Amino acid sequence: MLTHTTSSPQALKRVVVIGAGGLVGSTIVSELNRAGIPVAGLTRKEVDLLASAGSEQLRAKLRSDDAVVFVSAIAPAKNAAQMMDNLRMAEAALQAFAAVPPVHLLYISSDAVYADDANPVTEQSPVAPSTSHGMMHAARELMFRSEVKAPFAALRPTLIYGARDPHSGYGPNRFRRQAAEGGPITLFGEGEEKRDHVAVEDVARLAVRILQHRSTGSLNAVTGVATSFCDIAHLVADNFEPKVEVKHLVRTVPRPHLLHRFFDITNCYKAFPDFHFEPLADGLARVHREVFGGC
Amino acid sequence: MTDRPRIAYVGMTHLGLCSAVAAAAKGFDTLGVDLDAALVGRLEAGKLPVVEPELDDLLAHHREKIYFVTDPARLKACDVIYVAPDVPTDDQGGSDLKTLDALLALALDHARADAIVVVLSQVPPGYTRARLRSDKNLYYQVETLVFGRAVERATKPERFMVGCPDPATPLPPALKTYLEAFDCPVLPMRLESAELAKISINCSLVASVTVANTLAELCEEIGADWSEIAPALKLDRRIGAYSYLSPGLGIAGGNLERDLATVIRFSEEYGTDAAVIRAFVHNSRYRKDWAIRTLHETVLWRGAEVRLGVLGLAYKENTHSVKNSPSLALIRLLHPWHVRVYDPVVKSEVADHPNVTGAQDALDAASGVDALAIMTPWPEFKKLSPADLAKTMRGKTILDPFRVLDPKTAEAAGLDYHTLGVA
Repeated sequence: MLTHTTSSPQALKRVVVIGAGGLVGSTIVSELNRAGIPVAGLTRKEVDLLASAGSEQLRAKLRSDDAVVFVSAIAPAKNAAQMMDNLRMAEAALQAFAAVPPVHLLYISSDAVYADDANPVTEQSPVAPSTSHGMMHAARELMFRSEVKAPFAALRPTLIYGARDPHSGYGPNRFRRQAAEGGPITLFGEGEEKRDHVAVEDVARLAVRILQHRSTGSLNAVTGVATSFCDIAHLVADNFEPKVEVKHLVRTVPRPHLLHRFFDITNCYKAFPDFHFEPLADGLARVHREVFGGC
Repeated sequence: MTDRPRIAYVGMTHLGLCSAVAAAAKGFDTLGVDLDAALVGRLEAGKLPVVEPELDDLLAHHREKIYFVTDPARLKACDVIYVAPDVPTDDQGGSDLKTLDALLALALDHARADAIVVVLSQVPPGYTRARLRSDKNLYYQVETLVFGRAVERATKPERFMVGCPDPATPLPPALKTYLEAFDCPVLPMRLESAELAKISINCSLVASVTVANTLAELCEEIGADWSEIAPALKLDRRIGAYSYLSPGLGIAGGNLERDLATVIRFSEEYGTDAAVIRAFVHNSRYRKDWAIRTLHETVLWRGAEVRLGVLGLAYKENTHSVKNSPSLALIRLLHPWHVRVYDPVVKSEVADHPNVTGAQDALDAASGVDALAIMTPWPEFKKLSPADLAKTMRGKTILDPFRVLDPKTAEAAGLDYHTLGVA
């Protein structure tokens, strides 16, 4: 859970977002701009942490009064090579931070760091990843937490959706694209698995709050409401006129071990009492408007 | 020693005071010793620093049998000397034994060589044996104080568990005479067994509560009602009529947490398995947050204009104690909102909140609020009429974890009623 260094929001000199080209990074940049906080967004074009000069490139961009958001990743890390590339990126960043320590470091991690059977998940749930992606995030958290001489926080989002999400994984983004192409939206079996989905804008709003309070510790970016893929499919389909068909496919592989994933978000209530997540139905309708227009 | 041993209690906080009054009520000449002159002065004037049903009357009826003094030299006249200060705990359940150590040394120094000194305060296993002295008689006795029921527990104990340096040796006559006056079984045992017996009792109680909490939450999801299930369990002899099966808002008060922390600490020291004890602690923390979760899900998401009422500040009914109070923990998490509070005994000033208003009475605390949380089941709250609440409140949300109100009447009054153990 989080501990705030300052109980009320503080002004920030500048925030550097490493990985500003991705969905989460770019949304954090937008949210910082909206809050009037000076921001420098770094994409791979400015700093390539896998290049031999990556560390030096980053070091040249940093100032001693910067707060830093590290969101850059090759995600999802599907194999050992991608996991190691991600760790090398973090190592390069650490070298830069050793030369120019940030005043605060926020790492955008993932709920994949938790064990599959940790229901309901909280920030106190054991970190026991079952995937390369989760292990990569857990290792990066450890690297930053133990080596950066600055207050450190990890924000761990669950499944993210957003209008500009380039990924097409099973869930809201894929369903919307299937529907836009005339459908049908396809589900594996009954689509009964329940998952928590969070709007990328909510992740960004939480990130800004963590920066403003110079918080330390960890926080899950999750809504606390788990919805079945079947219900999500129908929510997405309802936004189209006429409603798009939702089709159930016979499972060709066994149902995943992780049938449902629930989160207890009490720590978020405690850290930011007046923060509330956008309900999934509202968020999906908003994303639909942003992508296709309409009121 | 005369036929009736003279009894002393050293440390006039909750445990020592209630136990001393019970001794006087049994007809023993009793000395209450405390080094705090102001406290002793108040006690001599009949003003009690603790709230316990029947305690004031009991003291008044047996006033001639009990003296409160500050002078430890008066212990020379006593045959059985109990050392019984409340042992404070920190947030992690650790005990602060400094006061007990000081009072025990004082008692041992002033006790006659033939007197019996008994540690009554809650201590970790090994405490008493480490303080045995060749020139004095030191025992340990398990206390079973229950806040809000202390007089009943002190005057009508179920049994006495007495830790002895050598349980094969008969109890000293003075101690035996005193304990037998309460007409209940007396169980001598090793010092360490008695010290661990106290912890074992509390772990068993927490186990029952944790079962109730876990299954009550499931009831809320699957359409069952825990209030229908618990009475059936109590009719099972293996579970028992007095078992702790009421779901609650986690463990509070300090003593149970202390014992869980002690077991965990000892398990780490000796390499024994305490995973289930850690699960009790986890469940307790989880249940403590029921009210804040429910308030966020029902009303707080609407924004800063939401107004709240909280009934009860004490950690349970019939006590002034606020140690680990779920109510105060909730109020600390409500800083963005205005909160009206009322407790029959505890003042609103104890609430850590920048915008809290102390109400005149329970109904006044509900005035104009969107949600009312009944966080301590004080008997007087049962008199509240749901219809009056519905008229007084701006909103309709009631959190009543202990079912102080009748759920059907509350729902009939149009209230959005939330309790533990049923949807």
